[in-house]
Amino acid sequence: MGVIIGPRVIDAGTSLLSVLISPVPVAAGYPSPAQDYFDGRIDLNEHLIKDITSTYVVRVSGDSMERAGISDGDELIVNRALEPRDGCVVVAVLDGELTVKRLRITASGVVLQADNPRYPDIRVPALSDLVIWGVATRCLHHV
Amino acid sequence: MPGRGSVALVDVNCFYASAERAFDPSLEGRPLVVLSNNDGCAVTRSPEAKALGISLGEPWFKLAPRAKEWGLVARSSNYELYGDISARVMELLGRYSAWLEVYSIDEAFLGVNGTPEELQRLGHTMKTAVRRNVGVPVCVGIAGTKTLAKLANKWAKHNPAFDGVCHWDAVPAARREKLMAGLSVVELWGVAARLTKRLNAQNIHTVLDLARADPIKIRDRFSVVLMRTVLELNGTPCIPLEEERIGRDQLIFSRSFATPITTGAGVRQVLGIYAQQASARLARHRLQAKLLTAFAATSFYNPQDNSYPTVYVPLPMPTADPVLLARAAYALLPRIDDGVKYVRAGIMVTDLRPTGNQAPLAIFENPHEERGIGPLLEDVSRRYGRGSIGLGFAGIRGGPDWSMKRDMLSPRYTTHWAELPVVKAA
Repeated sequence: MGVIIGPRVIDAGTSLLSVLISPVPVAAGYPSPAQDYFDGRIDLNEHLIKDITSTYVVRVSGDSMERAGISDGDELIVNRALEPRDGCVVVAVLDGELTVKRLRITASGVVLQADNPRYPDIRVPALSDLVIWGVATRCLHHV
Repeated sequence: MPGRGSVALVDVNCFYASAERAFDPSLEGRPLVVLSNNDGCAVTRSPEAKALGISLGEPWFKLAPRAKEWGLVARSSNYELYGDISARVMELLGRYSAWLEVYSIDEAFLGVNGTPEELQRLGHTMKTAVRRNVGVPVCVGIAGTKTLAKLANKWAKHNPAFDGVCHWDAVPAARREKLMAGLSVVELWGVAARLTKRLNAQNIHTVLDLARADPIKIRDRFSVVLMRTVLELNGTPCIPLEEERIGRDQLIFSRSFATPITTGAGVRQVLGIYAQQASARLARHRLQAKLLTAFAATSFYNPQDNSYPTVYVPLPMPTADPVLLARAAYALLPRIDDGVKYVRAGIMVTDLRPTGNQAPLAIFENPHEERGIGPLLEDVSRRYGRGSIGLGFAGIRGGPDWSMKRDMLSPRYTTHWAELPVVKAA
């Protein structure tokens, strides 16, 4: 069975994450023996997104997280509903900007670190002193 | 709606402004207005903008000269963003009740059951969840009727002591009466401004006056509609929740179960029924769906074991076919765990569009030849205006035919890959 990927009309109101490419069966000369086994393609949304209401995709600008495997221009999948824990890569609000950092929660306080020694740590007494926008769950790294 | 149920009205505070702020924290704390089509006038004002004395509908050309001095920021209406944020809020709210009536882009009525204490807790749970998951603030009003839920919501919004959640019955009667006595009757949901004079002539000025009026006299002198308002103000529900409402773009079929379902086979049966109902409803309205969402949920009163498996199934082509819809809904089944108590399940069909003219069941035709991209583009253009769509880059934002002025438009953060929010790694 031939399968073509059709052009999709994307409605203005459609969530980015709900727009999926689906295979469309095409009239063919004879039935394919595989036809009955086709169960749909791998759907990245299903595997990468736990909760569609709280998940956003953001784009990274800058190189401070290179060592975490997050490069300039990469996309991050961010889940706002996850509780930020020690060691998480988070998107935090710093000076009115969304900023990606690694979160460290220690007995002596809370630290936002870049995975790059050129950038200074940001230290606060408690997690409540920070605005954590979301927790990154995946990096879509451009190889 | 169940026997002695309550109604919760959940709405997003300053919706457009809040949606903008969710992705641009630099707007937090600054006066912000969102402008109508063609950047005409202010349709949403942040509290800071209200504090400057900017009124609703004030034309931008009058505000612009003073914007710099005030630190006032304006944004064009970003419908793509607001539409997606709205859909997320509604989907999330749907997890808390099987009776969800999407009343407008930023508000929904929910049928809820429980004691005032339980319902206040539920209100706070929903408020926290929407803020955390989606990123926008909401207020919740809960009462025995829609009219009172509206009133409670308004109160929750304006009185910080409620912390965003007001249950009408949990407030002492004397305080409620004081509130109603201080509110002009036209501020009430469902009372048209043109009625003011005639109501005043009957010595009805405040909400409390109307609540104390004789419903029969009101019916005779005004209308049944206004009589219902009087009854609702006194706690008698007259305006039912519209369970199946054709929203702009979705149909939901969902119910709570009297006895929890604990097996995949049980959920399968329920999904099959809903798929058939959805099919019938779609056919009656001559619509086809492109996306199906199937979900199940455990009780929110049982926070230890919460789960709400959900699947999103793109349909291979727009369809109202019950077999295709059911098959799509069954994609939920692998996520259903035997033994878990599901109190709710349902399906939602979205991305609805009118049925084409060609014969149905043409599943194996090449849809692009049969349906034609041309007529489709035509459809979309008719619906969204000239220039709203085109092949390739034609017609996309800023195209030659795109005449709507949106000079201060923020990125379409959640619907366009090229416009994702940027996070700084520095």
